[in-house]
Amino acid sequence: MAKLSDLLPAEDLLQLSGLPLFARTVMEGFSTGLHASPNKGASVEFRQHRPYVQGDEIKRLDWKIFGRSDRFYIREYDEETNLRATLLLDASGSMNYQGSKGVKKFEHARKLAAALAYVLTGQQDAVGLVTFDSKVREFIPCRTKTSHLHNVLETLLKTEPGAETSLAAVLQNLASRIKKRGLLMLMTDGFDDVGELLQAIGVLRKRGHEIIVFQIWDRDELEFPFSRWARFENLENFEDFQMLDPAAIRQRYLQALEQFRSALTEGLSKHQVDLVPIVTDEPLAHAVKSYLALRMRR
Amino acid sequence: MNFLNAILLAGAAAFLIPLIIHLLNKRRVQTVRWGAMHLLHQALQQRKRNIKVEQLLLLLTRIAIPILLALCLARPVLSFLRQFPGLNKTSLVVVLDNSFSMRAPSDQGTLSDKMRSELRQILEKLPNGSDVSVVLAGNPPRLLLDAPTVALEAITKKLETEPCLAGPFALNDALQLANAELKRMSGASREVLLLSDFQQSDWKNIADGGSVAALDTILKSEPKPLLTFYRGAGELEENLALASVEPSAFVIAREQSIALRVRILNHGKRAYQDIAVHLEADGARLRTTRVSVAPNAETLLTLNQAFDTAGDHAITVRVEGDAFPEDNAYSLVIPVREQVNCLLVKGGSDLGPLSGATDFLEISLAPHQSASTSLKDVIRTSTTDYRQIREKFLDGVEVVMLANVERLNGRQLPDLEEFVKRGGGLIVFVGPDCNSTWYEKEFFRDGKSLFPCFFKGFGHVETGQTPARILNQRHTHPATTYFNDARGLKLQDAAFQHWAKFEKIEGETRSILNLDRGDSLMVEKPFGKGRVIAVATTANAQWNNLPLQPVFVPLMQRIVTYLATQSAAPQSQSCGSMLRASLAKDQGKEAFVLTDPLNETHELKPITDKEGNVYVDYAITQNPGLYELRASTAAKTSAPKRFAFNLNPSESDLTLLSTGKVHDMATRLSASFAENNDDYTRLDRSRRHGTEVWQLLLFALIAFLFLEVFLQQRISRA
Repeated sequence: MAKLSDLLPAEDLLQLSGLPLFARTVMEGFSTGLHASPNKGASVEFRQHRPYVQGDEIKRLDWKIFGRSDRFYIREYDEETNLRATLLLDASGSMNYQGSKGVKKFEHARKLAAALAYVLTGQQDAVGLVTFDSKVREFIPCRTKTSHLHNVLETLLKTEPGAETSLAAVLQNLASRIKKRGLLMLMTDGFDDVGELLQAIGVLRKRGHEIIVFQIWDRDELEFPFSRWARFENLENFEDFQMLDPAAIRQRYLQALEQFRSALTEGLSKHQVDLVPIVTDEPLAHAVKSYLALRMRR
Repeated sequence: MNFLNAILLAGAAAFLIPLIIHLLNKRRVQTVRWGAMHLLHQALQQRKRNIKVEQLLLLLTRIAIPILLALCLARPVLSFLRQFPGLNKTSLVVVLDNSFSMRAPSDQGTLSDKMRSELRQILEKLPNGSDVSVVLAGNPPRLLLDAPTVALEAITKKLETEPCLAGPFALNDALQLANAELKRMSGASREVLLLSDFQQSDWKNIADGGSVAALDTILKSEPKPLLTFYRGAGELEENLALASVEPSAFVIAREQSIALRVRILNHGKRAYQDIAVHLEADGARLRTTRVSVAPNAETLLTLNQAFDTAGDHAITVRVEGDAFPEDNAYSLVIPVREQVNCLLVKGGSDLGPLSGATDFLEISLAPHQSASTSLKDVIRTSTTDYRQIREKFLDGVEVVMLANVERLNGRQLPDLEEFVKRGGGLIVFVGPDCNSTWYEKEFFRDGKSLFPCFFKGFGHVETGQTPARILNQRHTHPATTYFNDARGLKLQDAAFQHWAKFEKIEGETRSILNLDRGDSLMVEKPFGKGRVIAVATTANAQWNNLPLQPVFVPLMQRIVTYLATQSAAPQSQSCGSMLRASLAKDQGKEAFVLTDPLNETHELKPITDKEGNVYVDYAITQNPGLYELRASTAAKTSAPKRFAFNLNPSESDLTLLSTGKVHDMATRLSASFAENNDDYTRLDRSRRHGTEVWQLLLFALIAFLFLEVFLQQRISRA
């Protein structure tokens, strides 16, 4: 079983902790913080005036304008709310792949999740964790407490990759379970039907969630460097295997890969979802940092 | 299937290399536990072709390449292809030596038996559908079957009954015949196979660097035929041969003695002591003489014989004590006549004894009569002046001699023309009284009348100059061949001071004797069934001293008897030449029986040609000896017409060219060389079939190399 120190290596934490994670869309939260809240009035940041309509609270009338213009206006304020970030970790069998370079995809994703949880907790954001394969395996709702972080990390540690993926079904399922809008950070290889996956993402987006997809890749999956005859066994289903000469199929594989990635990228960008490819042989902090830098610029 | 370089076939084991690499690759299969299976499935679905099949093809191609290369180098011979008609079929012309030297003993009967048996084996191995023609090359060359045949058994069968008794190997003529046969044959693969003992006497000129025109023609023809010299060697080199028997006269009178000059040759290193020489006449042995023959030498002996009855008598001289008996006998037919009537017609005028134009002729033709001795002359002469010859003067005459006749008048010339046309002989001596204008205009008449040529000028020798002599050359005319080797009788002793210059010797006219000044002395021309001989000088001593020479008597006698017997059958003919017997006109419907030397009888029917001449022909005269022709109704005791056929003596020298020499000769003439059936089979394989398969394999190899590159590219693009 992985140790906590393996999950949160000091150098990764050092690099990530200086980078605040901003939600791009407006978040609902229960403590004022770094993130703007859609709830108006509970803050000191003035936003706008608007004409009074029946039903508005009387206490929100701007009496000074009424005194000057004899009209009823309501004063509206922006509220800064804390971020509700849910880490969705794919623990399906395909995440168990370990290529010739780097570590297991799942290990990498788990480290990423742990690091993000640590950073978010550090900036007073609420962090939740969902691990899943074909169904949701663990569901930890969002909390801000430091002790909650411990919970999250414990869960991450004990999670091992297992059965087949059913990413779309899981996301559909989560849409009903995560009621409050927040940031969903999905760590997966995305090996599912692209259409169904995008449909599920669309549902989540309609519910107001912001989604970042960290797509975990092994270098082998991107380059298919095999040359000798090989028996490819499905990590999620051992009965499914292919005996082939990899050199003979490499071009076709790379084409299929390209199609898959472009379909996913296009579909996600339509839903305004960021797709961050993470390759297991690259340092974790490097990929996340470059993504966050890009995000802050926008 | 056979291989010419079978050891290189081991290279085919190199096919194991790609196979082992392939198997090792398969065996070292790594197991990859893979996540992105859906991408893999998608890639496999997108691929429309079956890579597995293509990879199997690639493997097979790679295995095939070293195998093909090894096969190519090993030069396989696909003999089974020869069993299919139309595949690899060959047109083979066999030029088979059937000269009688092939009857020499060998390890399998005679050499001829051995060669026939080997030829049979060669024919058996020919691809089905091959056509074969056999040219029998012994002089005269001829075809075994009239046309090329695919029924090879017919050839074998016919060969068994074919005697091997022909004359010397006639290479050029045989190859001309072979070339004509090749043109009639259909196979693209053509071969000329020459089977011979390569006897030195037949081949020496060619072995010494001589060329063969007909061979060049064959080798230049397209498609170029393969040429093989197949040598069969006999085991005998010693041979005693009776080379010839020359009679002293063409025709003799009853009870007149004829001298037979017998030539016995010893071709070998062994000396023969006291061997028996038998003289047989009309089938009965008359006497035996004994002679000794030194190694590689010849012995001459003379036998004399006279006959009691007129008619054609057969003489056979036989020698004993030799392992190769084919050439130990020689036969002749000697016509014996009561007499030959010769009319001497003299011109000019008698001025004294022996000065008349025909005086010397009278003496030389009938010396015994002139000398009033009791001995008998075959020629009876009668003399007349040309001015006095009257109608029917030619009755009962066989030869007419004109000497110094000025001209003929009235019916004389047409009567003489008719006489010669019927088969009479005419001899014309020119003289000082001859009217050259009449000779040219009437007697020659542009070659249409009797005189063989015309003369305008005269040659003569000035006082003090050396006289003209008869040119010393090898005589080929039957009347003069005797003088080639007539000891003590030299034609060159005669001196000529004056002679007519004959011109326009053309057409059928030929020169018999020439003077050393370049002029013809004696010319001959056939006219109808007879012949005319013109002599450019006088028959007396007026212009020359020929009548004073001893040679004059036999010369004149031989010319007269030659002319008197010209329409009779030759005394001796070469085996293989046509036997033609002239018959009387009333015999055209009779049937005739010919008995050959093996005592077999053949029925013959007379043929009548357009001019009304009646004769019988018989072509199968390969067996030497006597042939007798009788009317089938005639009694067996009646005198038959006899014909003698003898083998060519040049075949008797059994010395063969050495293997090395034949091999060198074959190489020079672009031919292959074989000495036994194994040699030939090896040659046959390599030349006819090996090369073709080798080329096919090379094409296949190149094709497989391209296929390998193509498949490799295609699979890597998959």
